[in-house]
Amino acid sequence: MVIAPCANGRVHPETDELVAFGRRLQALRAGAIGVCIVGGDVNVAAREIAQRHSVPVTAIQAAGFSHYLSEPYVAVLTEEIEAVKPAFVCAPHTSQGWEWAPAVAARIGAGCICGVDGITECQGRLCFQKELYGGKVKGLFSVSTTTTVISVMPGIFTIKPAPPPCPPGPVTYKEAAWRPAQTRYVGTRQAGVDASDITAAPIIVAVGNGIGSPENIALANRLARRLPKAAVAGTRVVCDRGWLGYDRQVGISGASVAPALYIACGISGASQHVMGMRGARFVIAINTDPRAPIFNEADICIVEDIIRFIPLIEEACGRLAEGTKEAIDVR
Amino acid sequence: MKILVCVKQVPDVERIVVRDAADGMAALDISNEFRMNRFDEFAVEAAVRIKESMAGASIHVITVGPGRAADVLKRPLGMGADQGIHLKTPTDADPGPAAVAAFIAGYARSRGYRLILCGSMSEDGLNGQVGPMAAAYLDLPYATQVIAIQPAPDPSELSIEREIEGGAREMLAIRLPALLTLQPGINRPRYPSLSRLLRAHRQGVETIPTETLRPAEAWVERLGLMAPPRMRASQVLTGSAREKADRLAAILKEKAFI
Ligand SMILES: Cc1cc2nc3c(=O)[nH]c(=O)nc-3n(C[C@H](O)[C@H](O)[C@H](O)COP(=O)(O)OP(=O)(O)OC[C@H]3O[C@@H](n4cnc5c(N)ncnc54)[C@H](O)[C@@H]3O)c2cc1C
Ligand SMILES: Nc1ncnc2c1ncn2[C@@H]1O[C@H](COP(=O)(O)O)[C@@H](O)[C@H]1O
Repeated sequence: MVIAPCANGRVHPETDELVAFGRRLQALRAGAIGVCIVGGDVNVAAREIAQRHSVPVTAIQAAGFSHYLSEPYVAVLTEEIEAVKPAFVCAPHTSQGWEWAPAVAARIGAGCICGVDGITECQGRLCFQKELYGGKVKGLFSVSTTTTVISVMPGIFTIKPAPPPCPPGPVTYKEAAWRPAQTRYVGTRQAGVDASDITAAPIIVAVGNGIGSPENIALANRLARRLPKAAVAGTRVVCDRGWLGYDRQVGISGASVAPALYIACGISGASQHVMGMRGARFVIAINTDPRAPIFNEADICIVEDIIRFIPLIEEACGRLAEGTKEAIDVR
Repeated sequence: MKILVCVKQVPDVERIVVRDAADGMAALDISNEFRMNRFDEFAVEAAVRIKESMAGASIHVITVGPGRAADVLKRPLGMGADQGIHLKTPTDADPGPAAVAAFIAGYARSRGYRLILCGSMSEDGLNGQVGPMAAAYLDLPYATQVIAIQPAPDPSELSIEREIEGGAREMLAIRLPALLTLQPGINRPRYPSLSRLLRAHRQGVETIPTETLRPAEAWVERLGLMAPPRMRASQVLTGSAREKADRLAAILKEKAFI
């Protein structure tokens, strides 16, 4: 059972990814896919999903919660899952799915794995893959309960929607009773930071916790000044410490960037950061730890201490510039 | 107001070495250096700030883990927590989020905590599951990725903000007792004070063997580890630091970046 994210009457793009994940599961374990969508006004979205993917959809309309909220979501989904008894419940690994999935699993006594980015067969058992230890390794997990609740990493599983001639799946409409909630939704505030300095820059010098102190940010600034139109960005840790402003944060809770060149200095490569810089064309990573996960995301890997190495890059660029000048002079 | 803060002892991720093992699998060498999960420092700090702003508030800090895990309680006590609780597991093996949540819920039930705080996730497990699961076991309202906590006009509620994609914030009112998992950056965790650390050292912690709590069910089993795949060329530069810098400058030149 795929649980489509609630998005104010719209179909959220993650729904397609979850159906794709369901199809991958189907290839390994026979079974039917059904989509469930819960919210205040979900009927139109339900019909669109049924059409697009040719799958049966259950639309659970619940008056009173037009916006996602953990408490009613957990209550309504728990009831539906207990009625349908699916083998797998697939949630998006987003601020919504990551919040409700573990609680629903706990309520129904299901095994739960959050942040799944792969499925394989291992020792004859179905295994879900996810990152461990800050992304340094992937763990393969197998679940023994009749229902397994999984939250699926965004941006990994993709399919094209079923071609138009496919018959739309049937849509079942249900009403859920509104439960008195202990939590009230008050409103949403947009981020309010302007990240255009880093989203527009063709070259980004990005610093992580490895920079060690706010004074050392100057090293990155100097390197950026040496490179044409380069901007300095950072990880969440660096922004949380106040070493850079939040308008410089790259990652899921900051900006997504796609520069021609991304130089990652002292960044471990946590998935929350990497998801914001995957679009970079060329990536250079400098880190003291040869096993830092950022190296898997880099074209060029350099195992060095950034404090010592960044000045060496400047010098080397300087030497190269001198060399070029000499070469021209000779000619 | 009684506050319970959940903290986990984790190995220092930077010191972990991933090795190749048989059948294309990987193995880990975990050093003997453990510390407090970095994400949990924000939960301790949030609790201390509430205590400072509210007469009569007290903070209990709880951890589930083997004998060595008791050490992780010292830092929060040094930061201002009042009492440490160690739910001691019989072996070194991590019982997994469902069991940890069940143990914490088993302890917290009927002890009158108004607020339970967790970190957003553990640096080793990256699950983000213990909080929502403990809330489900205790039948408490909860919210994850909380980036702001304010008193509400109604003293039985808190005004909170959750961080969602792209840094936007959902504003909520949540009725106490409740459980919150906190987003990094909600505050700047303070350093423990020496006098408090010394007192914490003498004070000791309450130790409860997990065998006396609801038994842990092993629903999820880890069958193996794998080295993460390379997403790009991952060409490693070799030589002295200066040689690497020269090579890098040449690459930058070749690619017309300089
Ligand atoms: C819900 C949620 C959302 C998040 N959103 C984001 C986000 O949008 N963006 C983001 O970045 N993070 C985000 N995070 C945090 C993320 O999980 C990581 O904690 C963070 O990205 C790590 O930052 P870092 O790499 O700077 O620090 P660390 O993980 O501490 O890594 C520092 C690295 O520097 C290396 N190093 C140390 N010293 C040196 C030196 N002298 N020279 C060279 N290398 C050195 C170390 O080996 C290490 O690899 C989020 C987390 C959560 C839970
Ligand atoms: N063994 C543990 N003991 C106490 N608290 C824990 C433990 N494991 C996880 N937690 C808490 O639950 C949060 C999320 O952990 P996890 O679900 O493992 O990612 C952590 O930030 C801690 O606050």
